[in-house]
Amino acid sequence: MGRGINKAVIVGTLGKDPEIRYAENGNAVVNISVATNESWKDRETGETQERTEWHRIVLFGTLGEIASQYLKKGSQAYFEGKIKTNKWQDQGGIDRYTTQIVANEMEMLGRRSDAGPGT
Amino acid sequence: MARGVNKAIIVGTLGQDPEMRYTANGSAVANISVATNETWKDKQTGEAQERTEWHRIVMFGKLAEIAQQYLKKGSQAYFEGRIQTRKWQDNSGNDRYSTEIVANEMQMLGGRAGGGGGAPMESGGQSQSKPVPAETAPMDDGFDDIPF
Repeated sequence: MGRGINKAVIVGTLGKDPEIRYAENGNAVVNISVATNESWKDRETGETQERTEWHRIVLFGTLGEIASQYLKKGSQAYFEGKIKTNKWQDQGGIDRYTTQIVANEMEMLGRRSDAGPGT
Repeated sequence: MARGVNKAIIVGTLGQDPEMRYTANGSAVANISVATNETWKDKQTGEAQERTEWHRIVMFGKLAEIAQQYLKKGSQAYFEGRIQTRKWQDNSGNDRYSTEIVANEMQMLGGRAGGGGGAPMESGGQSQSKPVPAETAPMDDGFDDIPF
């Protein structure tokens, strides 16, 4: 069975400041929430519709530290990585799934203090 | 604000036959479950590790019909689309979220079942020729309760 390709590319805007925490071995784990917008014209009404998609992105180690240092709410950035779904259990013991993008590449875009996360 | 880029590319193997349904206006919706494998070497033990990632992929309209017609459990295919998270409520009224890839491009790989064409699939294309590893298959119980 082939290994396959699992790739995601996101260019979007941070909805809030990065959240950083550290694993037991001292590695940084940074979670960020990034918005992309999609717009289309409604076929019947002709009106422009817009939808915001929020992506959970996680970065580890040095990349995580860079992200937490330079990115903040409203920053625009490019992320590339793989899609990963984690299984966990809620308080009722029910299996839940959370999908996130584990980024291994990040590029800051725009100016550092760009404002306006705009949803 | 810029619109942004939201793109996912998956090349993987179907874990089960596509599930097809039709919306009220008659357009097709196909749901498929695709596995990609990731391998790495454990830094401490040096042993090769493997992890299977399952992706929910949804296709609409004509693309869905083509997928339903030509893909089945064990098929290999390329998918390109956008990542979408939907909010829904479970039986207890709790908010739940499901993330899937809405594919707008699909390419069959490895030839059609029964055909040749440099396929990694066995000719005849029986689904049992490509079993999904037992420990990775039962993701169904988690995803099956999503009310489509």
